[in-house]
Amino acid sequence: MNPALQAWSLYARATKRWPALAALVPFIPVVALWWIVAAAGVFPRAFFPSPPDVVRSFADLVYKGILPEYLEDSVARLAVGAAAGMAIGIPLGLLVGLSRKAHAALWPPLLFFQAIGDIAWLPILLIWFGFGLATMTFVIVYTVLFPVVLNTVLGVRSVPVELHRAALSLGASKPRILWEVVLPGALPNIITGLRNGLGYGWRALIAAEMIVGTSGVGFLMFDARRAGSVVEIVLGMIVLGLLWYIVDAWVLAPIERATGQRWGLVTR
Amino acid sequence: MGWTGRILAGAKFLAPLAVLLVLWPILIRAFNVNPQIFPDITAVARAGLESIRDGSLFAHMGASLARVAVGTVLAILVAVPLGVLMGVSPGVSAFLTPLLRFFSVLAGIAWIPIATLWFGYGFGAITFVIFNAVFFIVAYNTLLGVSTIPMQVRNAAASLGAGRWTMLAEVLLPGALPNIVTGVRTGLGFAWRGLIAAEIIATNIGLGYMIFVARDFYRTEVIVFGMIVIGALWLLIDRLLLAPVERATIERWGMVRSA
Amino acid sequence: MKSLAIRNLSKTYFDAYAGAHVDAVRDVSLEVPEGEFVSIVGPSGCGKTTILNMVAGFIAPSSGEILVGDHAVAGPGPDRGVVFQSFALFPWKTVLENVAFGPKMRGVGKPERERIAREFLSLAGLSHAAERYPNELSGGMQQRVGVARALANEPDVLLMDEPFASVDAQTRMTLQEELTRIWQERRSTVLFITHDVPEAVFLANRVVVLSKGRVLEEVDIPLPRPRRWDALVESDDFKALANQVLQLVRSA
Ligand SMILES: Nc1ncnc2c1ncn2[C@@H]1O[C@H](COP(=O)(O)OP(=O)(O)OP(=O)(O)O)[C@@H](O)[C@H]1O
Ligand SMILES: [Mg+2]
Repeated sequence: MNPALQAWSLYARATKRWPALAALVPFIPVVALWWIVAAAGVFPRAFFPSPPDVVRSFADLVYKGILPEYLEDSVARLAVGAAAGMAIGIPLGLLVGLSRKAHAALWPPLLFFQAIGDIAWLPILLIWFGFGLATMTFVIVYTVLFPVVLNTVLGVRSVPVELHRAALSLGASKPRILWEVVLPGALPNIITGLRNGLGYGWRALIAAEMIVGTSGVGFLMFDARRAGSVVEIVLGMIVLGLLWYIVDAWVLAPIERATGQRWGLVTR
Repeated sequence: MGWTGRILAGAKFLAPLAVLLVLWPILIRAFNVNPQIFPDITAVARAGLESIRDGSLFAHMGASLARVAVGTVLAILVAVPLGVLMGVSPGVSAFLTPLLRFFSVLAGIAWIPIATLWFGYGFGAITFVIFNAVFFIVAYNTLLGVSTIPMQVRNAAASLGAGRWTMLAEVLLPGALPNIVTGVRTGLGFAWRGLIAAEIIATNIGLGYMIFVARDFYRTEVIVFGMIVIGALWLLIDRLLLAPVERATIERWGMVRSA
Repeated sequence: MKSLAIRNLSKTYFDAYAGAHVDAVRDVSLEVPEGEFVSIVGPSGCGKTTILNMVAGFIAPSSGEILVGDHAVAGPGPDRGVVFQSFALFPWKTVLENVAFGPKMRGVGKPERERIAREFLSLAGLSHAAERYPNELSGGMQQRVGVARALANEPDVLLMDEPFASVDAQTRMTLQEELTRIWQERRSTVLFITHDVPEAVFLANRVVVLSKGRVLEEVDIPLPRPRRWDALVESDDFKALANQVLQLVRSA
């Protein structure tokens, strides 16, 4: 066998054993290429920092305590927004999904307000609440809310009528059916909604932090832009990507594996 | 459904929105709301008419739509062939998937600071942000679509005598199409928000700029009018352009969908 | 255990698509005495499911009445257990939790309802699968769970709508034999719907032939029990009865 193929098969076996490897190794050539291009001086250093520059700036910002503090601010805002968005979105979605009247009255406005993207609210929110936490919280809750509501409705409506009937003829009351049938049946969709909502909410948060922020990863990046520090911008982008990766791999994916996939409602 | 049925359904859909429109001025009067907090419907209508008369609305709309169109078309033109190429071999696609996922997570807004540094404020930076939002998500979805076409289907096509190009045109592209369309729809969703954010930050024309400048003068009627235009434009793009295409591909192929 | 009485039952649907009324069930009367097993057969679209859905309380009759014991049916309830063609198991509950669902709704405590569920699972020959999820079972096993779940709630009447239609022929015969065994043990009142004539004859004390929403004929099935397929396929009595019903269905 030729050595390239041998290396490939070694890689295939290793990633099978340690799946995390498959997520990390592909970044090696990218970083290497980045390093080479930066070292070759194709672009001015200030415009195109090299990997060590970014690592140094990472160490620097961690040492000064700025990065941990900003990261904490961003994550806390996202968590609060996600929690509030779900707390409002799931009950609202259940209502709209179950009640014909609620659906007729609320579905069109829901679609319309969803279309006015979160960020378009910023100017008027700034007038109402000023530059601060209230504005950012509103934007995130707003962003998370709609995907959760719309997908919850879809989920509720996707529960087969037979399951309602089975529960009724086994003696379940309406509230019990909500808890035992409707909610678990809609759960895979609710999680999809949460995933989409977090995806949008996350970006909205970054935008809000750039435009109105005084702290947070978005602010860090935009502040760096003002100071012309590309290193910190790149660092911010990497942090954002990693953070999402962690949320996805450690929070969302395990929930999905434990629910919809286990029950055979979602195939992957 | 006949056309009477369709009109009825349309009317039923619009009725709650009409109720909101009627309630709006009533509530404004009942609570005596300061127009610097929230405008009356008549003020919004006047602001709308004025922006149409002096042509500023079309200038802003044109700028925004041009950026979206250029960025999106470029992104699709590059992303789809690239995605197909990468998806042809299972090994390559498995290797590249984490990379594409990482970059599609960053797609859009996160690129604003660096894009404005590289391209300066204006058309270039904003189009780059949109390109970015669409490119990675479409490339990732194309890759996903191609790599999930069952090997049997490809073998069947090959044994029926499909060459390289026929395979591409008859099997790989149509097979990946539902994923590509979904990718475009998701990517455009991010791009549209990215557009508004970028226009707030980095330009002096466009719908995002229009509403953000109005804030400086507490012209809430212009802001609300702009929000309605932004929402209506997105509804038109999404419901009239993207959703029907997605439905046509996805439902024909019997795949699942989400809201 | 109670009797089931259906009196002058009719159902007219409005088909919005065609813009016309459909008389799905017309003036059907039927008595199922306590502990009897009655099958309804008939060609597709003759109104079998509609009748069962009215008895179950899922849809309201246009006219007529349905009595369980001396109680008029007004909606779905635990006095009538239903076994669905699509199984209708809760995908997010284990087999044990599915079977324990009825007792749970009655407020039975956890240890007791799990004991009940295990008892019925062993009756259905599924003790080994208690902790699995429905999507990890074969179709035949899923339907055994469906039957056990309905029985575990101790209904007065058991309603079954083509419960074995979506399993393979081998499994179907096994399930039919198991059902007769379980029925003999527990003597439930059963209304069983099928369009498979041998199945109807094999299972029932009486077969009701339905045609275009009306009862065409009732045929008593005095075959001895326990019934087993290997014995019955040879039996002339079985063949004659099955033939008689088949002729009725074909003339329907
Ligand atoms: N919801 C409905 N609206 C309008 N017509 C209906 C509806 N449900 C059933 N029907 C009609 O009523 C008639 C009886 O239907 P039903 O489902 O009871 O038949 P069935 O005997 O169970 O048939 P199968 O053996 O195919 O299950 C059919 O003509 C059917 O088209
Ligand atoms: Mg039927």
